[in-house]
Amino acid sequence: MTAETIIQSLASGLLMGLLYGLIAVGLALIFGLMDVVNFAHGEFLMIAMYASFFLFAFFAIDPLLAAPLVAAALFVFGAVVYLLIVRFAVRAKANAGMVQIFSTFGLAIVMRGVAQFFFTPDYRSVTHSWFGGKTVSIGGIFLPQPQLIGAAVAMLAFGGLYYFINRTDFGRALEATREDAGAVALVGIDKNRVFALGWGLGAALVGLAGAIMSIFFYIYPDVGASFALIAYVTVALGGFGSVFGAFAGGIIVGLVEASTALLLPPSLKSVGIYAVYLLVVFVRPRGLFGSM
Amino acid sequence: MTITRRNVLLGATAAAALAPIAARAQTSEVVIGVTYPMSGANAQIGVDAQHAYVTATDIINNKHDFELPLAKDAGLPGLGGAKIRLVFADHQGDPQKGRAEAERLITQEKVCAIIGSYQSSVAVTISQICERYQTPFVSADNSSPSLHTRGLKFFFRAAPHDEMFTKAMFDFYDALKKKGTKIETLALFHEDTIFGTDSANAQIKLANERGYKIVADIKYRSNSPSLSAEVQQLKSANADVLMPSSYTTDGIMLVKTMAELGYKPKAIVAQAAGFSEKALYDAVGDKLEGVITRGSFSLDLAAKRPMVGKINDLFKAKSGKDLNDNTSREFMGLIVLADAINRAKSTDGEKIRAALAATEIPGEQTIMPWKRVKFDELGQNNDADPVLLQYIGGKFVTISPPQGAVAEAVWPMK
Repeated sequence: MTAETIIQSLASGLLMGLLYGLIAVGLALIFGLMDVVNFAHGEFLMIAMYASFFLFAFFAIDPLLAAPLVAAALFVFGAVVYLLIVRFAVRAKANAGMVQIFSTFGLAIVMRGVAQFFFTPDYRSVTHSWFGGKTVSIGGIFLPQPQLIGAAVAMLAFGGLYYFINRTDFGRALEATREDAGAVALVGIDKNRVFALGWGLGAALVGLAGAIMSIFFYIYPDVGASFALIAYVTVALGGFGSVFGAFAGGIIVGLVEASTALLLPPSLKSVGIYAVYLLVVFVRPRGLFGSM
Repeated sequence: MTITRRNVLLGATAAAALAPIAARAQTSEVVIGVTYPMSGANAQIGVDAQHAYVTATDIINNKHDFELPLAKDAGLPGLGGAKIRLVFADHQGDPQKGRAEAERLITQEKVCAIIGSYQSSVAVTISQICERYQTPFVSADNSSPSLHTRGLKFFFRAAPHDEMFTKAMFDFYDALKKKGTKIETLALFHEDTIFGTDSANAQIKLANERGYKIVADIKYRSNSPSLSAEVQQLKSANADVLMPSSYTTDGIMLVKTMAELGYKPKAIVAQAAGFSEKALYDAVGDKLEGVITRGSFSLDLAAKRPMVGKINDLFKAKSGKDLNDNTSREFMGLIVLADAINRAKSTDGEKIRAALAATEIPGEQTIMPWKRVKFDELGQNNDADPVLLQYIGGKFVTISPPQGAVAEAVWPMK
């Protein structure tokens, strides 16, 4: 194993990790806000990728330009999902946790089925884009441009999110609702509105990730499944509900995955991620940056 | 629920009303179970397979002027002109679901035989269930060699398995080497279920026997979000030939990641699967000029056997795609099975099994480059000769074996 191989693996792992973080942050945000795990998160990613693909196929819009459009569309979608489904699911008096799980899980299955019906199960790809298939080579280390762009977008998104949560009124309302939903109602904040916007924001972030991923990943109705699993472990590792935790968790997952593949047969590379997660559970069950 | 007298009465009346229909149905149609992944990562394979089977059914059930068994008659003459009816079941690429679906097809849909199933791992469980219920299983497009060596009586495969395919690859390497091409090192890249593992085992065995060195043997997890680490290892090994055994998703990811990491293999010789699929070439075909894949089918055969082109047209009208390695085997599998049912003159599992075992279809009466269809005692057809195809200028040309080749191989690939 040469130094070059190690650096290349870690660099690939870091880039992928930032993207994992961007995929996971919406999940962390929604969970932090209202303690609901969105089991349709992978399917949100899937429709974002399809949206980006169709904008490319019908209007020749490059996925990077399409990213804000896709994020906006997903924002609306997320808010609607909250208002039509989750709002009612959280009202359940008995077995509230189960009702939430099955309502979002059911949504996931329906979305997959609808996608397969309308889009067919065929694999789609964005064949030409500004950055697709191009790489930058620095001293023998290859950095694929789509992943570089993805990493940059992820960092911008995290920066923006940090500013938004800490510096804007809505961000403060979000934080306050998350601390004590009952108390905010007393000061005139509409809980439903905040939750809907929170779902919208969470979906918009995964929309951003989906648009970027459509540059270099194949698209089909089940594409969300493998990424959703990684998003869940990312959130659990970083700390439930912590936006910064998702960011750090993503990077850790990316790096651990890459280094496991260096040491063990690649078919076992996800073992490393879960081994690290189990270790974290052992030492710090709320996750690395969990505050609860 | 309590059973009241009224319920019993209702049930009895319904049964009495339906009985004559069921009896009539038995003579006028032959029900065959078809099980494929129709949702999940490989759902498109199931959709395409459905088109292939419907094309074959059309040819069996109606009169066509083809030199294929049963094409010239309407229905099965051995069963008084009975028509074939297919019942499709989705196993989602999951061996456990495959087991449940096979059981449902046999016990509830009353199929007389099952055909399937793309993934070899699912064929394992389906064939076990079929064996238990004494229902023939025709493996149309599974290629793992370990499927037929388990001593199952009701398992039949007309198409080649991966040891035969792999032998064709090594025969081709030996021939190239004789002409002075340098081929010494191989890199294996295979997914981690029975298909990839069996394929790699066959490749390792032949490489050792014939003196090729394996410099990388990478087993990866199917549908991984990223293959950077795997490709990095292939790149450092830089073998003379890269030999992937991958389904479509991983094939696309492999080719994209190779391009991103600046790895240009000297040659790729693929164990078909994803590398036979249009979706893969739609996605990354521009990076695959000169890729070689094994196949059991070649459209080049249409020049010699015009029926191949006509059947391809029938299939294309339904699916929008040319017949490929998978769909051709699926088509042929149903023809072989229907031919046996016709000769069995019965839908009884044991009689169909005996008829399948006695199958003898000359190669000219197939759409494949095979010598003939004749099963050995394990249910494998050893006269199914594989071909090697090279992707040149957006289509496949046959480059091996020499008797079927229409072009010289381009080596190394571009």
